[in-house]
Amino acid sequence: MTNRSETLSKKIAEAKKSSGAHGCVECGRCVAVCPMAEMYTNFSIEISPRGIIKKTLMDDSVADDTSIWYCTECNAGTDVCPQGVSCRDLIRSLREAVIDEGKREHTKTCPSCSRVFVAIPVEHFVRTRLNEEPPEVFDTLALCPPCRRELYLVRNS
Amino acid sequence: MMKLHNKEDLSLTLEDLRPRVVEKEGFSSFFMPPRHPSLLFDPAKCTGCGTCEMICSTRNTSRVAPSSASIKVVIDEKRAKVFSIYCQHCRKPLCIEACPTRALSKGKDGIVRIDTLFCTDCGLCTLACPAAAPLKDPGSGDIHKCDLCEGEPLCVNHCPENALTFTRGKLLRWIKGVRWTVQVTSFFLLVFVLIGTFCYFKAGAVSLSCPTGTLQNIASSGTIVLIGVSSALFLLLLTILAGRIFCGWVCPFGFILDLLGTIIPKKLGWPSFLKSRMTKYGILAGAVGGSYALGFQAFCTICPIGTLCRSYGVQSFFRSAELTIVPALASLEIAERRSWCRYFCPVGAILGLASTLGIIKIVIGAKKCKKFSCIQCAEVCPMGIIDAAHLRAGISPTIPMTECITCMRCIDRCPYGAAKIRFRWQKAVPSEAQP
Repeated sequence: MTNRSETLSKKIAEAKKSSGAHGCVECGRCVAVCPMAEMYTNFSIEISPRGIIKKTLMDDSVADDTSIWYCTECNAGTDVCPQGVSCRDLIRSLREAVIDEGKREHTKTCPSCSRVFVAIPVEHFVRTRLNEEPPEVFDTLALCPPCRRELYLVRNS
Repeated sequence: MMKLHNKEDLSLTLEDLRPRVVEKEGFSSFFMPPRHPSLLFDPAKCTGCGTCEMICSTRNTSRVAPSSASIKVVIDEKRAKVFSIYCQHCRKPLCIEACPTRALSKGKDGIVRIDTLFCTDCGLCTLACPAAAPLKDPGSGDIHKCDLCEGEPLCVNHCPENALTFTRGKLLRWIKGVRWTVQVTSFFLLVFVLIGTFCYFKAGAVSLSCPTGTLQNIASSGTIVLIGVSSALFLLLLTILAGRIFCGWVCPFGFILDLLGTIIPKKLGWPSFLKSRMTKYGILAGAVGGSYALGFQAFCTICPIGTLCRSYGVQSFFRSAELTIVPALASLEIAERRSWCRYFCPVGAILGLASTLGIIKIVIGAKKCKKFSCIQCAEVCPMGIIDAAHLRAGISPTIPMTECITCMRCIDRCPYGAAKIRFRWQKAVPSEAQP
């Protein structure tokens, strides 16, 4: 237990430093451009980049939250941040720390290359948007993009 | 004091800011199809040189950086194959559905574009695309997607092997004009003008007869009249030469079904346990067996083609009970187009048997077929034998000629010339679909 919190704290501290999270002034520009506002009806401060940055600065338990798995890692927040804080890098490092621990409950793995390639809330959003498509479509969509391209190659050359 | 508005009045949704526009196909598309541009790729010519990536990247960025291109050359070392992935500008793009900021849109010219003003580079379009065509630039993180260089694709001009070609699709759908004319003429002749009609036609020395009727005749009377058999052979010979073209171009009942099919907007569909193509062979066997048992041509009395020719025309307009058969069987159209022809018609069954000896086939060539981005052939096929699931998976389907009525709607519709008629012994490239 102590071991876990030690390595995790170290990783989170490293993440905060490399993403520049300490520079956040809570201006909210990242929230304004964040596509998550259009994707999720339950978009709230906990899921927003500003909220995640704030929670990370205060509490290491943010790594266990489901809130960090909604982000699409688009980096739009980083582009507009006046302090140069990279919300994407922070969320990515938090996710990597959780994945390194072996937790897979928030991610989808590609059945072909066994790599983690998308967070479940994001993938669920895409599925909901494509719900009018016939079910065969989702067989291809279960693969990660590089495997999808390779499958297309195999089927057509 | 200003009245405080209700919170709901102030909320704006994406629907207000950028409403989704649904394009409806106009009447002009009956003969003149919308000519949407597309890139075609020939894997047999591709050497994997990557020139397309290099030249494309100069359009996206200010330097040559293949990873910033909108086209990707995928190389499979194990199978020694190369392929290029690029946006197909689908007819029904999935990326547009998935984009949370509605940055993607399909223009009137058919090109799917990313509006960089709204794009956040989230990459959900790549997740939704069946070929994962929008590419993420590993350096800048931008999403690059092919926009056909607004009409003059650079990759096409610079490919040293001409593996990439640019096409706008065909100009004219002319087969449907010829076919409807033949159908109307045949209906008019068989139902209103000629006496003896489809079941048995005699003009001097020439006599033609329905093969199913002839079989029932032989079964019920126990004698084989050579002239009867040779008359029936005509239709079978036609089928060997041109597939079930009788069903698609001549049959008057088929004409009625086609007319109904254009009027009825949405088809309900049959439950899957009813949808066996073998049922019509069973009905054929039943017709012959029944004729043998009963001593008269059992099926001919209730045949929709026969009753249509006999009751609705010149001979006698009020053969009461027979009048109900055509509307009753034609109402099956509510479920699926040409339901009668697919599952029940014994004439179609015997022509289907004859077509196993047929010399032509309709192929959908994988090179030109746009597969998941088009799927028009599957939508337009009245017999429902083009597998849309295969197309969505990126495989060009094979068409079973025993079911095909050679209406050639697929050939007429295919904008890229992928659907075509070939002799059975001609090889299609690539050879077989790989599931």
